[in-house]
Amino acid sequence: MANRVAICAVAQTPFSANKWDVRAQGLVWEVVREVREQTGLGFGKDAIQAAVTVSDDVFDARTISDGAITDVVGAHYGAEEKVAADGAQGVYYAAATVLSGHHDVVLLVGHCKESQSASRNMVTHLAFDPFYTRPVGLDYLCAAALQAQAYMARSDVTEDQLADVVVRARRNAAKNPVAQETRAVTREEVLASPMVADPIREAFMYPVSDGAVAMILASERRAQEITDKPVWITGLGNCYDSFFLGERDLAGNFTLERAAQRAYAMAGISMPGKTFDVVEIADQYAHQLPQYAEGLGLCDTNGGGPWLAADGPDKQNVNLSGGMLAGNPLMLGGLVRVAEAVIQLRGEAGEQQVSNARRAVAHGATGPAGQLQTVVVLEN
Amino acid sequence: MSKEKQDAELIVSRQVISVPQRFSTGPVMGRFLQELRDNKRIMASKCPQCARHHVPPREVCAICHVEATGWDELKQEGTVRDFDVVYYASPDPLTGETRRAPYVICWVDLDGTQGDAPFWHLLDVDDLSKVQRGVRVRVVFADERHGTTEDILHFAIIEDSASENQ
Amino acid sequence: MKNRNVAIIGSGMSKFSSHREEVNQPEMIHEAVAAALADAQLGLDDVDCVLHGNMELFEMVHQPDMWHVIADGGWGKSGFRLTTGGTTGATLACAADNLVASGLHDVVLAIGFEKLQEGHTTGGITNMADPLWGRSLQTGALTGTGAQKVIDEFGVERARLAAMKYRTIMDEHAMRNRNAHRRLRLERQYIKETAENSPPLAGELRMIHMCSQSDGACAAIFASEDKVRQFGANPAWIVDHETVHREETMIFGSQVSTQRIAAERLFGRHAIGNPREAVDVFEMYDPSAWWGLDWLRDFLLLEGDEHLKMVENGEIALDGTFPVNPSGGVIASNPIGATALVRVVEAAMQIRGTAGEHQVSKPVRRALASGFGGTLWTVLMLLSKEKPACGGVAHE
Repeated sequence: MANRVAICAVAQTPFSANKWDVRAQGLVWEVVREVREQTGLGFGKDAIQAAVTVSDDVFDARTISDGAITDVVGAHYGAEEKVAADGAQGVYYAAATVLSGHHDVVLLVGHCKESQSASRNMVTHLAFDPFYTRPVGLDYLCAAALQAQAYMARSDVTEDQLADVVVRARRNAAKNPVAQETRAVTREEVLASPMVADPIREAFMYPVSDGAVAMILASERRAQEITDKPVWITGLGNCYDSFFLGERDLAGNFTLERAAQRAYAMAGISMPGKTFDVVEIADQYAHQLPQYAEGLGLCDTNGGGPWLAADGPDKQNVNLSGGMLAGNPLMLGGLVRVAEAVIQLRGEAGEQQVSNARRAVAHGATGPAGQLQTVVVLEN
Repeated sequence: MSKEKQDAELIVSRQVISVPQRFSTGPVMGRFLQELRDNKRIMASKCPQCARHHVPPREVCAICHVEATGWDELKQEGTVRDFDVVYYASPDPLTGETRRAPYVICWVDLDGTQGDAPFWHLLDVDDLSKVQRGVRVRVVFADERHGTTEDILHFAIIEDSASENQ
Repeated sequence: MKNRNVAIIGSGMSKFSSHREEVNQPEMIHEAVAAALADAQLGLDDVDCVLHGNMELFEMVHQPDMWHVIADGGWGKSGFRLTTGGTTGATLACAADNLVASGLHDVVLAIGFEKLQEGHTTGGITNMADPLWGRSLQTGALTGTGAQKVIDEFGVERARLAAMKYRTIMDEHAMRNRNAHRRLRLERQYIKETAENSPPLAGELRMIHMCSQSDGACAAIFASEDKVRQFGANPAWIVDHETVHREETMIFGSQVSTQRIAAERLFGRHAIGNPREAVDVFEMYDPSAWWGLDWLRDFLLLEGDEHLKMVENGEIALDGTFPVNPSGGVIASNPIGATALVRVVEAAMQIRGTAGEHQVSKPVRRALASGFGGTLWTVLMLLSKEKPACGGVAHE
């Protein structure tokens, strides 16, 4: 690769279940202001040259919803392009705009308020085709439940183990200043939470969440001017699976394996299980933590259960941020994962800091049961 | 496949899709709507750097890229900068109702506004020939207000100025 | 400095019409994808990344790229979805250019589509207004202010005739484009009567001036220089692009247009002082005849009434000195999520010499394409027949 691209600053709003007191413009301003303060950058030819935004018209209930934040992201008589998928896709695309040579400094910002709609399931229900999968009643929750059924049957991961995933997520989240669900829970409490879509219990689900994340990406020359702690994006990969759930191996990781392979090839990584100091997985549902760990090559295929049993997540520093189970809106899960990995690689993770953290992998998922997944490798 | 069979097989699925929303207004837009509803005041945000107004208010000045921290009350009379006589009314996406056409929408520079911040609303007029750029108008509030666009019924032409322009 | 060169090597469009009721969304998209692969003489295995875009609230499908993967060949491939309203198709072209130039991808298939007949078009557009203010005021994309601006400057008679002349020439072009949605067979001798008899929508904007609402999909294949060579392809090179947005108001007021800013920046980077001479053909996103007429001046960095004269003298016709919208433009066909990509594709077709009946008479070395949407946003893209020097510097 001729050019290199680094993340120079990140900012996140605290995530919470219902940010009723602020609208999208305000949320985005919080994080844009913060990354600008961190870097001293304004907007213009020699500063932030363009914005890549991440949001979704259906969640925002507004056509061309990026039109609401043009002024906030400095795109009045400037450039802005919107990625309408999980925020890790925004990281990939923003990196591409810098690597292309078209821009040197790009602002990346994502926002989503799941609390705005009566139910996020009503939104994701609309991702299903109007003729068959929608009338049958699918939404992303049901798709995840089918995935969980398949995965748990194949992997022998138990409900107890999933409950422990949640307990651990809360414990980690409590040390994360922006995390939403920080109240400690016991395994019993988790197992007593109502069954929502068998085998997914309420406590196994990522909570309804509102928030925003901003980053500044820059080319090598500019990154070194902007920050003394650039975090280099050294690997990028994503991949689509098929749409109809019956056509997919829901217990497997077709899409994630390919996304990871592409990212790892680019970054020169051959042993993912032994390479990363920090791992951030977008675990929208508890069963996805071990499942996607397999897909990322952190443990063997079908080895998710033993991996959990052997404290794999702790040993490999997985989701020290609390992960998506701590609360991030659907559109931002992967963007937050990248942000948290960057914070670790900049040595700014406080209580949770992994010493000598040099390399991280961050993951995001879009669509039903991770139909599209994105992998980002980062190094300092 | 025969044409009859083809026609018979074309099924169309009709659906109405609605997802109830609860939009936050936030402190900036929220204050604007509250002042409309409770006090019949029209508030604008103001940029501390370029002194430009925005109505309805914005969190950030698009030109200076700083928070628009200032607040001013605008006067309720102004000058029509531009207008549209709309002959084709489309149904309101939320209510399904269609306004009677022709109707007029206009952009008004309310007195005291600084910078480019025309205020956008309907213009109530019985005689379309009275609608011209430069005509003086005033805001007409609704008696019952809820913190929405409809708290303002429309602009009305200030009659003595209309006759001057003719 | 652009990292490496990128070219369009193939494109395809579904038929554009008001009611494609005989196909569902993936089937319609597949028409365009299959046509693009055939045009490029490639198979799906040659593509490594699929881009997808439209405006969700028209069809009310959330993340439609998920469902449409069954038709766009995205299975097992990398991909992205970008949405920027009416400019979406052009943004997809910019994104494809960025992704291939970056070195991350070699062959990118970009797809824009819309099935307007499946939803409510004006309602969908009206939903771009702030839900807290203005949604009950916005009238979709209908405004007479663009017409009034031209009338104010040039007088109502001259302005009306010029707008209708523009409209008629667009239709003449559409008559030579079998894929176009609306082909009315307008005649120049009846310009005045046609306008007078057309129902007004808003102000002097009449039905006859206004763009279509269409169902359709467009696909384009972007490839790296190495792949162009490997495939023995017929390329239209992407020289550069510029995106200019605006804050959330629908009135320019005293502000400069984004069309002019985009042109100043894009042409400025390539030392083009006279776009009318440097560029051979322009596929402009013209949502109405009035805006098409008006924006010519800003896009070509002209002054005074030069743009009106171009229209009045027929210079913008297919066989003219500066053809505009040889495809018939947006007035003839407007499947919104695809429309801006169609502009880029039609510009590329002119360079590649594949526009058939609506190929312009003159040789085409450079083509310009624009996208429009949002609150008067512009995306502008410059293409060339000759390969740019790495870094995209235009040849003289």
